[in-house]
Amino acid sequence: MQFPHLYEPGQQNLYFNKIEFVKCVLHGIYSSLILFFIPYGAMYDTVRSDGKAIADYQSFALMAQTCLLIVVSVQIGLDTAYWTAVNQFFIWGSLSVYFAIIFTMYSDGMYLIFTASFPFIGTARNTLSQPNVWLVIFLSIILCVLPVVGGRFLKSQLMPTISDKVLRKIRAAKKQPPPPLPKIRLRRTSTRRSGYAFSHQHGFGALIMSGRNMRPKLPFTTTGMFSPNSEKNKHK
Amino acid sequence: MAVNYNAKEEADGHPSGVGAPGGAGKSRKPDNTAFKQQRLPAWQPILTAGTVLPAFFIIGLIFIPIGIGIFVTSNNIREYEIDYTGTDSSSPCNKCLNVSWNSTPPCTCTINFTLNQPFETNVFMYYGLSNFYQNHRRYVKSRDDSQLNGDNSSLLHPSKECEPYSTSENKPIAPCGAIANSMFNDTLELFRIDNETRIPITLNKKGIAWWTDKNVKFRNPSGNTNNLTALFQGTTKPVNWPKPVYMLDSEADNNGFINEDFIVWMRTAALPTFRKLYRLIERKNNLQPTLQAGKYSLDITYNYPVHSFDGRKRMILSTISWMGGKNPFLGIAYITVGSICFFLGVVLLVIHHKYGNRNTSADIPN
Repeated sequence: MQFPHLYEPGQQNLYFNKIEFVKCVLHGIYSSLILFFIPYGAMYDTVRSDGKAIADYQSFALMAQTCLLIVVSVQIGLDTAYWTAVNQFFIWGSLSVYFAIIFTMYSDGMYLIFTASFPFIGTARNTLSQPNVWLVIFLSIILCVLPVVGGRFLKSQLMPTISDKVLRKIRAAKKQPPPPLPKIRLRRTSTRRSGYAFSHQHGFGALIMSGRNMRPKLPFTTTGMFSPNSEKNKHK
Repeated sequence: MAVNYNAKEEADGHPSGVGAPGGAGKSRKPDNTAFKQQRLPAWQPILTAGTVLPAFFIIGLIFIPIGIGIFVTSNNIREYEIDYTGTDSSSPCNKCLNVSWNSTPPCTCTINFTLNQPFETNVFMYYGLSNFYQNHRRYVKSRDDSQLNGDNSSLLHPSKECEPYSTSENKPIAPCGAIANSMFNDTLELFRIDNETRIPITLNKKGIAWWTDKNVKFRNPSGNTNNLTALFQGTTKPVNWPKPVYMLDSEADNNGFINEDFIVWMRTAALPTFRKLYRLIERKNNLQPTLQAGKYSLDITYNYPVHSFDGRKRMILSTISWMGGKNPFLGIAYITVGSICFFLGVVLLVIHHKYGNRNTSADIPN
């Protein structure tokens, strides 16, 4: 409860209202235009590095789809502000599963077994081996993600919200050594370890886990009346 | 009664044997592992000035050289294009403008042109079409991949997707569908004019389709004989073709469904303006350029009518680089994005210096 004003954004519906929704829609429109027109411009009347076709319907679809998936993964990664091993596994894992699936679906074997269902045979091999295609993908990622990063940074500089200020204060405090803990009194208090209430936003994991937002109390387990080390239980 | 001093239960404030009314079950508190108590080590990327600003500058500095490299590569590609639709009355092919698919004798025209610069490396000859929507949905679906893969039952019973191009004169069509029916059938020949003599230039018709297409996707129907005519017994040619599919070429490995011109056509283009590989002009030796500068003449057998839908046809001679054909878009896009990134980095740096550290902890009410 060091920073009670952190509860205000939730109460004032600051992060999920109509304006935020409109911003989301505009971002979606911008991303869709990028994800179509960048491959379109790069594929217009072009061929592969050995002269054969790359501007066909199947290669174009695969390129746009790969751009899209990688951009979405990067955007999710950006929004995941607390990267645990689980997050890493799922995000990298989903990208690798995508590539595994398209190479499987577009392989010779699947085509020969289910001819009508997998007509895109050979497309993954022939398209994703072109450096041109990877340059296009890289460009789309940067064009889709950098405005978001820049916009958020700009917002945090010019109009920082309460949580931004708090985060900055916490980070500045981390750079100095923490003050010594006050002397602990023997008290029986409840084991409520909550304080997770203002978790509308990210970035407060360390604060909560450090325990500095809880009232200083005795760890209930190793001393006190009902712990295994107490007089009551020692003789048993 | 000893309390079970299990390491997992260390945080449990209510050991089960003590004080629980009436022999309660085990505690419902989650285990005290890092995973369940959400104490996993984590990385927290937060957008500070120290990460965002260098990122913008680095991306700007990487993109601009890449863009320049791509642009220079694209500019070094030699390309020569001739539009031979013949809509202009002064064009030699104007007389062929309203030809139909089965005109006999076929209409021919010749276009003379001059190459100002020699083409050094292997030259690729393309035919290009404009305003031809090979990406129309009903058109794209109008094919039978099983038939094209050599399945004998699909050969005689084409799929419903090929309608109305699946049977003709009560016989199944091989290959069926609108894509096959509209196959490009102009013939282009190139001659070099050297002091009034026309020297033909060897055009290679093999190696123009994807390897996977030619060897896996498209297969001729199998049978006991090597005679393709017998294997295609019981089928008829597509409506708008002059010759049946087993007479596309005299060579056996380029005849039938595995004819490379046919395979190239069947790979439908994504955009209404496209080019498809027609022939290869290979370099003979390292001393001479593949195509010297000078006068050339293109002989066209004009079979393919495009005027009715305002389409255009063209022949393109082009060299190739590691990034494909001539396409300045990617180079220009990279240079533009790199410059904008760098400029934005500078702007954000200025904003950060002026406004960034104004709102500090003094404002935070406690």
